[in-house]
Amino acid sequence: MIEPGAPAVEEQVPDIPTRIRTGLSAGMQTSLKIIKVSIPLYVGVTLLKGTPVLDLLGKAFAPVMGLFGLPGEAAFAFVAAFLLNLYAAIAVIVPLNLTPFQVTQCGLMMGIAHNLIVEGAVLSTTGARGWVLTLCRLVIACAAGLLLRGLWLLGGV
Amino acid sequence: MEPLLAALLGALKLSAKLILIIVPLVTLFEVLRHLPVFRKAGNIVEPAMRGVGLTRDAAVPLFTGIFLGLAYGAGIIIRVAQQKYLPDRELFLMGLFLATCHSVIEDILIFAVIGGSGLAILGVRLGLAVVLTGLMARIWKPA
Repeated sequence: MIEPGAPAVEEQVPDIPTRIRTGLSAGMQTSLKIIKVSIPLYVGVTLLKGTPVLDLLGKAFAPVMGLFGLPGEAAFAFVAAFLLNLYAAIAVIVPLNLTPFQVTQCGLMMGIAHNLIVEGAVLSTTGARGWVLTLCRLVIACAAGLLLRGLWLLGGV
Repeated sequence: MEPLLAALLGALKLSAKLILIIVPLVTLFEVLRHLPVFRKAGNIVEPAMRGVGLTRDAAVPLFTGIFLGLAYGAGIIIRVAQQKYLPDRELFLMGLFLATCHSVIEDILIFAVIGGSGLAILGVRLGLAVVLTGLMARIWKPA
């Protein structure tokens, strides 16, 4: 963390064992945070799959998702990706049993547009155009999705 | 009861896969990030950066974002952007590039683990980022 008013000193370089320890503990902490969200999501979607609820909602989103070659149910994964992160999104994707192309499509579009609230704030601090960039991400994600679908239909991917 | 157990088991399997990706990746990054190679990498990519309207002042935040992602790389991105007084135009171009293409290693690994094609994802993202940023750099001329 940077102290307010502190001069911009070079970061001290810790020795390798310290770095490994820092990495392992930071990695475990991140993992735990992610798992706390993804386990309930995964279980929730798996259980919903047996009910008409997911079917109905899936049908409602089918026209939009169909543009990208995805089933309507994938809309949930997009909600999870936009508001939370990719780990939440894949917790939703895995129980849906998508095809490899559909998983790739989700990975591409969600890789561009995810965690919009937190990352939008980060982008804002670097310049005044955080919301423009967030909007750009949504548009670019759609463009990338159409592009990949097109390439796939042409038989390229 | 049985569907619940099956769902929990699936969730645990997915969690184990995620831990296996995240922990080594974060550890490797901690070990490698102080190497001088990364500081020098700026020289090599400078010509490519000029093509999309960026100067080498933007190299560190750009590459931090490409490899680590916006949330994790936020500390470095914000600090460098402020220290170097990057102009608005460059901040926007960098932001546009990163919006399209960031956190590539982690994103691609997790989608490859669940059956996606990492190469297709990387190719389309990198290609789009270069085309869009290059285009914007030509529309928004430097002052």
